[in-house]
Amino acid sequence: MNEELRVAVDRRSGGAVLYTKGYINNVGGEEIANRAYELMNDGVRVLLLNLRETKIVNSIGISILIEIIEKMIEQGGKIGFCCLTPVIHKTFQIMGLANYASIFADEETAAKELGLAA
Amino acid sequence: MPLAELLSELQQIEKVAAHDHAPLILGAFARHTPFDGGAIYLRETRDAPLRLAAAHSFEAPAILADDQSLAMARLLVPLRTTRDHLGMLALSGESATDEDVRSASAAATYLATLLANHRLLQETREGDFQLKYRLWELESLYDIGLSIAATLNIDDLADEILFRMISLINARRAALFLRDGAGFRLYRSFGEVRSDFLDEDLAQQLVREGVPLTFEENTDCIFPACMAFVALPIRGNSDVIGVLAAADRETRDGGIGAFEANELRLLSLFASQVAIALENARLHREALEKQAMERELELAATIQRDILPKAIPEVEGIEIATLARPAKQVGGDYHAFFVRDGVLTMLVADVAGKSMPAALLVSALHAATQLLFAEGREIGDIATELNRHIHNWSAENKFVTMVIVSIDRENETLEFVNAGHNPAYIVHHGKDGGKLDQIRSHGLPIGILPSTRYSTQRRPFPPGSSVVLYSDGITEAEDVAGEEFENARLEEILAAGTTPAALRDSIAASVDHFTAGAPQKDDQTLVIARSLA
Repeated sequence: MNEELRVAVDRRSGGAVLYTKGYINNVGGEEIANRAYELMNDGVRVLLLNLRETKIVNSIGISILIEIIEKMIEQGGKIGFCCLTPVIHKTFQIMGLANYASIFADEETAAKELGLAA
Repeated sequence: MPLAELLSELQQIEKVAAHDHAPLILGAFARHTPFDGGAIYLRETRDAPLRLAAAHSFEAPAILADDQSLAMARLLVPLRTTRDHLGMLALSGESATDEDVRSASAAATYLATLLANHRLLQETREGDFQLKYRLWELESLYDIGLSIAATLNIDDLADEILFRMISLINARRAALFLRDGAGFRLYRSFGEVRSDFLDEDLAQQLVREGVPLTFEENTDCIFPACMAFVALPIRGNSDVIGVLAAADRETRDGGIGAFEANELRLLSLFASQVAIALENARLHREALEKQAMERELELAATIQRDILPKAIPEVEGIEIATLARPAKQVGGDYHAFFVRDGVLTMLVADVAGKSMPAALLVSALHAATQLLFAEGREIGDIATELNRHIHNWSAENKFVTMVIVSIDRENETLEFVNAGHNPAYIVHHGKDGGKLDQIRSHGLPIGILPSTRYSTQRRPFPPGSSVVLYSDGITEAEDVAGEEFENARLEEILAAGTTPAALRDSIAASVDHFTAGAPQKDDQTLVIARSLA
């Protein structure tokens, strides 16, 4: 198992999907933030983070995700998460991410609810 | 000076307390007041020094003492509330009037209020985050207990342990070592690990001290090039069963820090949960292995049961009795009967090994024997062919001891082959009781060497004679002290000489009496035939 996080971006009509693979820690969180802010600066206002291949997130990673959510909300946009492991899902609920971002079981439902092209 | 516009712009500057937003504040003053130069100093925390956040057309030192003056400053005003001294605003501008100074001072007071509010909001949010984080830690420990206790597959469990530990203490790398003899072998890791075995000195120290050990900037640690790591023992019921290790704790400011008291406390609690889970997984694995072994034994026993004769053949003038008692751990005893042209052939064999491998070899032996007898070969030839067959098709260390006898009543002879088996007995019954004649082995066990040939031997077998074939499960049956039944006791019973059924019952009872409840370690087989007078 490797600690490095990789992010893939899929620009779609209506927004973008970020696919993460690996550990969302400080380094991984910053990687996601950089990609998210690039997209926001490019006018993207709907972001879906698909965490299917992420099994671990720590508190630093969570605080960075919260910053991304806040920034998107300030800009009038919205962020969703999908395909979370049960552990990460519970973590997001306790840490309050679920109050500001939508969480979906699968990408299809998320894309439909967020208005992203499939 | 349009003070209202300046105040409005200051209010618009988000994160006014952040250092990187300070140039925006100076810009607002420059746009709305005659102060075209200046500097802003901010404290990052209450006790931190005044650090330069931004300067524009102004010579300003990086750090400013609380009572330090600045030569270029027309206005030097503290940014303070009743509680805190948050920063310092220095402004310069040759055209500024006294009225401008008063207005700028008022704006600075407003800026201080904005700074204080922002700081307070940040502190509240940080406090809220920390509170939630502590809740999450507690929930995690609780969940870990439930989750890893319910995970009985050790591979899944190892992943779960590493993932949970890493996120719990904000580590970048982690490893799980499990006991392997005297040392600890790497079982699973997240991130690069230096070696497959835990350093011996460290392992001994962990076992000896039994508490988490922390190391900083140890270049020769478990993880290559790590800044700091922690290792702690996983204590099982009676011994240290594993070691958890983690490296490089991330800090909120983006750096790497040492593991602190809170992390060590969490890790200790975590290790206790892990110990229970690992013990559970081990017990579960052992139970599964036992189940599998029992299933295998059952299957092997079924195979052997199905192969053994369902009934004793009826041959005119010959009385037969058998005994087949399988041991709990299935052995490899086999017996068979063949009747051809009024001649009865009996075979007793003992396959090396136990359980399924033995049962499979017995099965192969059974099939080959049936085919060879059907071809009408004489028993020496059959033994030779069986030897070649078993040697070619079975594992290297597999062999079979075997005795085959054929009773020819018409010619009153007994033909036999004994391939490494216990001596069989011919019992000649007379007025003075039974006289015993041993049929000793005259060749290697079947399957040892491919070129071994077996010749058919002959002995007289007048009416009234009996032949007794048996496996070593009879003569090597042990009592509780480990003493064997031995041939002498068997011979004593045989010499008394009665019917095959009576001999069988007498031998079985004598063996049972001798072993007196000691566990039966090997299959026990008896095949006895008497040519009636």
